[in-house]
Amino acid sequence: MIYRETGQFKTTYPDDQAIFPIPQDRWFLGAGLLLALVVVPLTANQYWLGPIFTQFLVFSLAAVGLNILTGYAGQVSLGTGGFMAVGAYMCYNFALRVPELPLFVDFIIGGIFAALVGVVFGLPSMRIKGFYLAVATLAAQFFLLWVFDHVGWFTNYDPAGVASAPSRTLLGSWATEGGPLSFLAPINMMVSGPEATPETKYMITLVTVIVFAVLAKNMVRSSTGRAWMAIRDMDIAAEIIGINPLKTKISAFAISSFYCGVAGSLYVFTYVGNADTEAFDLARSFQILFMVIIGGLGSIMGSFLGAAFIVLLPVFLNILASTLGEGTLPSDTLANLELIIFGSFIIFFLIIEPHGFARLWQIGKEKLRKWPFPY
Amino acid sequence: MDKKTVNKRIKFYDDLEVMEVDFSDLTFTVNKHVDEFYDEVDRLLASSDRQWYFLVNYTNCKIKPEIWNHFAARGKQSNTSHGLGSVRIGTTAEIRETIREYSRKENFRANLYESRDEAFSALNTMRRRRKTSGSEGIEPYLSVKNIHLSFGGIRAIGGVGFEVHQGDIFSIIGPNGAGKTSMINVISGFYRPSEGQIIFNGIDRTHYHPADVAKLGFARTFQNIALFKGMTTLDNIMTGRLIKMKSNFFLEALYFGPARRQEMENREYVEKIIDFLEIQSIRKTPVGRLPYGFQKRVELARALAMEPKVLLLDEPMAGMNLEEKEDMARFILDVSEEWGTTIMLIEHDMGVVMDLSTMVVVMDHGEKIAEGTPDDVRKDPVVIRAYLGEG
Amino acid sequence: MFDLLFFLETLIGGLLSGVMYSLVALGFVLIFKASGVFNFAQGAMVLFAALTFVLMLELGGEFWDWTGWLALLFAAASGVLILLNRYTDYFKPQIISKRTALLFSLLTALVLVLFFDGGRNMWRAAFISLIIFLVLTVGVRKPKWAAAVLLGVAVTSFFAGGINFWRSLVLTLVVMVMLAMAIERVVLRHLVNQEPILLFMATIGLNFVLEGIAQGVWDSDVHGLDIGIEDMPFDVYGVFISKFDIFAAISAGLLVLGIGVFFTKTRVGRALRAVADDHQAAMAVGISLNDIWAIVWSASGIVALFAGLLWGSKLGVQFSLVLLAFKALPVLILGGFTSVPGAIIGGLIVGATEKVFEVFIGIEYLGGGTESWSPYMLAMIFLLFRPQGLFGEKIIERV
Repeated sequence: MIYRETGQFKTTYPDDQAIFPIPQDRWFLGAGLLLALVVVPLTANQYWLGPIFTQFLVFSLAAVGLNILTGYAGQVSLGTGGFMAVGAYMCYNFALRVPELPLFVDFIIGGIFAALVGVVFGLPSMRIKGFYLAVATLAAQFFLLWVFDHVGWFTNYDPAGVASAPSRTLLGSWATEGGPLSFLAPINMMVSGPEATPETKYMITLVTVIVFAVLAKNMVRSSTGRAWMAIRDMDIAAEIIGINPLKTKISAFAISSFYCGVAGSLYVFTYVGNADTEAFDLARSFQILFMVIIGGLGSIMGSFLGAAFIVLLPVFLNILASTLGEGTLPSDTLANLELIIFGSFIIFFLIIEPHGFARLWQIGKEKLRKWPFPY
Repeated sequence: MDKKTVNKRIKFYDDLEVMEVDFSDLTFTVNKHVDEFYDEVDRLLASSDRQWYFLVNYTNCKIKPEIWNHFAARGKQSNTSHGLGSVRIGTTAEIRETIREYSRKENFRANLYESRDEAFSALNTMRRRRKTSGSEGIEPYLSVKNIHLSFGGIRAIGGVGFEVHQGDIFSIIGPNGAGKTSMINVISGFYRPSEGQIIFNGIDRTHYHPADVAKLGFARTFQNIALFKGMTTLDNIMTGRLIKMKSNFFLEALYFGPARRQEMENREYVEKIIDFLEIQSIRKTPVGRLPYGFQKRVELARALAMEPKVLLLDEPMAGMNLEEKEDMARFILDVSEEWGTTIMLIEHDMGVVMDLSTMVVVMDHGEKIAEGTPDDVRKDPVVIRAYLGEG
Repeated sequence: MFDLLFFLETLIGGLLSGVMYSLVALGFVLIFKASGVFNFAQGAMVLFAALTFVLMLELGGEFWDWTGWLALLFAAASGVLILLNRYTDYFKPQIISKRTALLFSLLTALVLVLFFDGGRNMWRAAFISLIIFLVLTVGVRKPKWAAAVLLGVAVTSFFAGGINFWRSLVLTLVVMVMLAMAIERVVLRHLVNQEPILLFMATIGLNFVLEGIAQGVWDSDVHGLDIGIEDMPFDVYGVFISKFDIFAAISAGLLVLGIGVFFTKTRVGRALRAVADDHQAAMAVGISLNDIWAIVWSASGIVALFAGLLWGSKLGVQFSLVLLAFKALPVLILGGFTSVPGAIIGGLIVGATEKVFEVFIGIEYLGGGTESWSPYMLAMIFLLFRPQGLFGEKIIERV
C-alpha cells in the first residue's frame, strides 16, 4: 500500500534517470541517513561505534570498490587486501612525513597510489580472463605484502613492522592555532590518534563513505558504468560496439583499487589506529569478496548489506557462543564451531539466494508494490 | 492536359544537373494521361542532350493502380535514356508502397524523401559521388578484396571479394559452413584476414581493431544473440551510444554539467530508436528475460544507436516465426530508407533475401560462386547446383 | 662465486618439491575438468585427509575395541541392502525419512559412545552419527554405493585389534569418499548451473567448514607422521639428493599415471571426459552428472590423501597443510586448469624457479621470503605471452 508507484509518472528524462526515481525510496534513504548521521553518534556506546559501525563502514567502502571491479566490470580479483595495504601505508607515510597536509588529502593520496598499483596489476587482464586472472591477482596480494614486510621505510622502520596512525587533524597542521590557516582551527578536528574521539572517527568515516558511495553510484549509472557492464556481460560484443576492452578494464582496476586504498587508509586512521601486513592478508581479500557476493554482484546497495552481514555474523556468533557455551566448551572448540557455522551459513546462503541480498531487496520491493495481493 | 501545362511542371536547374518533374495535385486515370506527360518530358530531355538527376514531386498525386505499370515503365524509359539517378518527394503512403515494391522488383533504390531540402541534399551527395569516381561509374562505398582466412590450417574463406555501394541492401547467402559469418567477422574486425584488403570510403581498414571499426561507422548484430544479459533494454541500447559519448570519470562521478547533459541527449536519441522499433514496453526489462524475437530487436536497436554507416546483420530472422520475420523485414527496409544506411545481410530465408536485397553474393565452401541482382542469382545454374546438389 | 654443484642441488631439490606441488594441483585439475568448479577447499581436503589418517593411526586399538561388533552390524546392513536391491523392487527412496535417519543415527552414536567409548568425546559421537546419517540418507538412494561403503567399513574394522598403516589408509579412503559424496549431495547439487564465481565462493565456505571439522573433531597440534621412508640425502657425483623427495616424486608419478589410465581407458573415464566437455550434452546421452561429480570429488579426495601423506610426513600434519593450496595455484595457471600433464610440468617449473630464485636472488639481494610471490609473478608474466597456458590450444573465439 505504502510502496506503490501507480500514478507516479515521469515526464522528463532527468526525472526518469534519477538515482532513486521513487519518492518512497528517497524517504527511506533519508531516514537511514538521519539515523546514521544523528541518532547513532548520539546514542551508540564505544563498543558499537568503533568495532562495529566504523568497521562496517570501512569494509563497505572496500566492498563497493571490489564490486566495481568484480560486480560491474566482471574481473574477479583476489588482491583486495594488497590494494588496501597500498592505500594504508602510503596514507600513513604521507600523514607522518607531511603533517601540513590535511588528513583527507592523505586519504585521497593513499587511494591514488593504490589506483596506480591497481593499474599495474590490472594489465594482465588484457590477455587473461576468469579464474586465470583471479589467480594472477594473487600475485598482487602476496607481492605487495612482502614488499611492506621487507622494506622498512613503509612502516617508518618500526621494529615490529606496525604502522601506528599518528595524531592528525582533518585539515592538517597549517590549520591549527598559530599556523598560516589558523582561521580554520575551530573546525579542524582531531581525527586520528589516541586523542580523537570515536564519534569523530565514526563521523569522518561515515561522511567519506557516503560521498564515495554516491560517486560510485553515479559512475555505474553513466557511460563508464555501462562500458564496464558491457565488458562483463560479453566482452566480444562490447568490443564490436566500439568499447576499448583494455581501457575499460584498466579503468575498473584503477577506480576499484582507489576505493580499496581509501578504505585501507580509513582502516588505519579511523578504525583500528594501527596496521601491520596481517590486517591485509588473503583472508581479508576473501572477506571482502564474500561481502560482495553475499551482498550481490553489481549492486552498490548490496555491498553495504553484504558488509553488514559479514561484519555482524561473527559478532553475533561470538555473543551467542559466549552466552550459551561459556564454561561448557573450551575456547578453541568454540572458535572451530564458529568457523564451521560461518562456512555453512555462506554455503547455505549461496544455495538459497545466489544473487545475494540485493536480489532479496528487489524481491522484497516487488512484493511490497503488490501488497496485499500476492501477484 | 495540354502541352503548356505539362511544360510548366517540368523545370531544369542547369547548374545542379537536376530536372524537377512536378506531379503534384494531378490524377492519372488512363494510360493516355501518362503518355501525354512523359512524351513532353522525353522531348525536353532529348532536346537537352545531356544527363540529369530527376526530382519527382508526388504531392497529392493520384495514380490509378491499373495504370501503375505503364507509369513506371515510362519513368524507367526516361531514366535509362537520360537519368543519372532520381529522388522522390511528397509520396502518399499508397504510392510509397507501390514504388518500394517496384524498386525491389526492378532493383533500383526508391530514394523517398520528406522535403525538397532533403531531396536536394541527397542529390548533391549523389552528384559528388559521381564526380569523385572515375570512369567505372559510382565508386564502391565498401570494397572487400580477395579475403583469405584460415583457422589452424583449415580454410574458412579463400579469396572472396565484392563491392558494396552506398545505400545498398547487400546480401551474402550460401549453405551452412560457406564462410558467411566468418566474412562478417572479418568485416567487423573480429577476425584478421591472412590476405586481402578492406577499403571503406577510401580508407584502408584491413587491420583495424573491432573497436576502431565500430568508430568508423560499422555496427552489427550476431547470429547467436550477443546482448548484455545483466542490463536492461534501455541500458543495452545506451551502450550503443558509447562511441558517441565522451567519458569523463570525474564529471560522471559527480553526475554534473556536461556529463549529465550528454546522458540526457543520448537518452533522447535512444528513445527515438525505441519508438522506431516499437519496443517501448520492454524499456526497463532486463534483456535476459525477454523472448527471442524481442532480443533480436533489441540487438538491432543497439546497432542502430551507433548511427552506423554500414549495418551488418548476421541472420536477423533466424528462428523467428512468420510474423516476427515480417516485422524484422519492415524494420530493415525502413532503416535503409529513413537513414540511407548501407546494409549487409546474411539470411537463410531465400524469400526474404530476394525481396529485400539490391545485390546478392553467393558463397560456398569459402568461395564466391555468384554475384548479381536477386533475379540473376536466382537463375544462376551454379547457385542452383550449390543449393540443390549435382544432377 | 657461482657454484655449479650447489646450483644443481638447489634445482633438483626444487624440481622434486615441484612434483609434490603438482600432486596438490592435480586435485584441483580433476574437479575443474569434470565440473568447472574451482575448488578452493582442496588445501583443506589435504589437511582433512592427513589428519584423519594420522589420528586413526594414533588412536590405534583403544578406539576400535568395539568395532568387531560394529563390523558385524555394518556387514549385515550391507548384505541386507544388497539383497533388497537385487531381489526386490520394493526398495524405494522413501523407505526411510530424513528425520528418522537423523534420529536413528544420533541414537546409535549415543549408544555406541556411552557404552563403548566411555562418553568421553562428544565430537567423535557427532562424527560417527554423521557417517551413519549419510549412509542412511545417501544410502537409501544409492543402495549399491552404500552397500560398498558399509562393506568397506565392515572389512576394515573387522581387524579390531588395532589399526596399522594400511588399515588406516583404507579407512581414510572410505572417509574421503564419503566426504566427497556428502559435498556433492549437500553443496554441489544445489548449485548446478550457477555462475562459476558462486561455486568458487561456496568452496571457500566449504574450506572453512572442513578446517573447522578437521581441527574440531581432531585437534590442532602438530602430529608426526612416519611413512617409513628415511629423509636421508644421498650423494650422486657430489650432488646431494633427498631420498624422501625421490620417493615422493615416484609415487606422485605413479598416481598421475593411474589417473591418466583411469581417464582414458575406462568407461567412467569416458563419461568424465564427456561431462568435462559439455554438461548438457553429457546429460542428454544419459550420464548422471551427480554420480560423475561424486566420483571426481572422491578421486580428488584420494589425491588429497596422497598429498597429505607425503607432505604430512615431510612437514608434520598440521594446519599449515592448508596453505599448500597457494603453492598449487600458480602451478594451475601455468599448466592450465584442465590439463593433467600441465599440472605436472607446471609443478616442476614452479618448484624449480621458486627455489632457485629464493636461493640465488631472494636471500642474496631481497631479504628472503620471495617464495610467497615469485611463482605468481612467473605465472603472470608467462600468461601475458601465452594466455592459454602451457598445454592449452590457441583460443579461437566465435560469435
